[in-house]
Amino acid sequence: MIKAKKIYKSFGELEVLSDVSFEVQQGEVISIIGPSGSGKSTLLRSLIGLEEIDSGELYIEGISVEKSGKKAYEKMGMVFQGFNLFPHKTVMGNLIEAPIVVKDEKKPTVKAKAEKLLKKVGLYDKKDSYPAQLSGGQKQRVAIARALAMEPDIMLFDEPTSSLDPELVGEVLTVIRDLADENITMLVVTHEMGFARDVSNRVFFMDHGQIISDTIPEKIFVNPESERIQSFLTKILSQNSGSQ
Amino acid sequence: MFDYIINVSGYILEGSLVTFQLYLATAVFSVILGIVGALGKISKIPFLESILSFYTWVFRGTPLLLQLFFAYYGLPVLGITLEPFPAAVLTFIVNYGAYFTEIFRGGIESIGEGQYEAAKVLGLNYRQTMSRIILPQTVKRVLPATSNEAINLVKDSALVAVIGLGDLLRAAKVAVTRDFSIIPFIIAAIFYLIISSVIVTVFRKLEEKYSVYE
Repeated sequence: MIKAKKIYKSFGELEVLSDVSFEVQQGEVISIIGPSGSGKSTLLRSLIGLEEIDSGELYIEGISVEKSGKKAYEKMGMVFQGFNLFPHKTVMGNLIEAPIVVKDEKKPTVKAKAEKLLKKVGLYDKKDSYPAQLSGGQKQRVAIARALAMEPDIMLFDEPTSSLDPELVGEVLTVIRDLADENITMLVVTHEMGFARDVSNRVFFMDHGQIISDTIPEKIFVNPESERIQSFLTKILSQNSGSQ
Repeated sequence: MFDYIINVSGYILEGSLVTFQLYLATAVFSVILGIVGALGKISKIPFLESILSFYTWVFRGTPLLLQLFFAYYGLPVLGITLEPFPAAVLTFIVNYGAYFTEIFRGGIESIGEGQYEAAKVLGLNYRQTMSRIILPQTVKRVLPATSNEAINLVKDSALVAVIGLGDLLRAAKVAVTRDFSIIPFIIAAIFYLIISSVIVTVFRKLEEKYSVYE
């Protein structure tokens, strides 16, 4: 469970998060949409400590980020737009690194777990490959498996399909959809409106550093109340019509 | 003639012992110094950064020969008297350490922010991130520049003759003077080429090894 209260964050003069408050319950899937520069990624990165918030309160699974950040961050895994796999390690090496080094787990145990995860994302046969030998979609699926290997309660996805060729988007979204069925709490920053509509329990629409709409997908996509959301959707759906 | 070549080769080989010792000590400790220096330079501790910048500025900006003279003839003025070999080793380590500091710093800084972020969200601390994620990737990127330095070091080692060390080149020069023959120089040249070739080969193998992942 995540609880955010009056989060503020500025980069110099530019206010990127302004009075952001929300709650996410266990097992919920939240899509965060909105125009670029609206603070979506910053919000996600703030949750896991990649950005420091200027003020506000943040609780992850009841743990205050301010008081014990490291413990709170351990509850979360994150997947990046640019994959950020470790290029000098094999797929298997990428998955087992953190459980062994951070959690001090035994190598055979971690490996068995990693093999299961790789089967789940359909890449077991690539376990000895290096990231450079994989397609973008495969890299992102490895990145998802790597995050899952730490057994997080919450998964954060920062535009997981934005740097993929259109034909590779589907395989990554399928993996994320499957996770949604497993009761993992997820926050997904995305431009894939079809995904946001079909998979999420709620959609946050962000603009100018604020969540201006926090509602069920139907309300946003079928019957958007504000003009800003309407114009955003019109714009993005016309761009997206090819890939969805 | 053949006997003479064998003889002189033996003599020069004895001299090259000093060269090898100097080479090995410098290679090991200047690389360590370079890693520490590079980590210090990227540490964002202003005091440490300025000290290290001053260090690399001085030692990369003045001739190695001058530094060698200073260590051997200059330090005694300050009350520190060193035998020729320790003076030479110390100078070489500090000099090459300065170059490696800058080479490794550049290598570390060439690794993208995303690698640090990925390590951080997986829970790795700074030390684990550097030793397991960043530095291993840096090795590959600094290999070509390090290879150049490794070959330079072979040739720079000949400078120690000026403070009276009997290294490979000095042994050759002694033989030339003694025998009125330039053959010792040719033999010395061949020795240097052999050493350089071995080093080049080692680095090529290393580069091949590290190229598997890109």
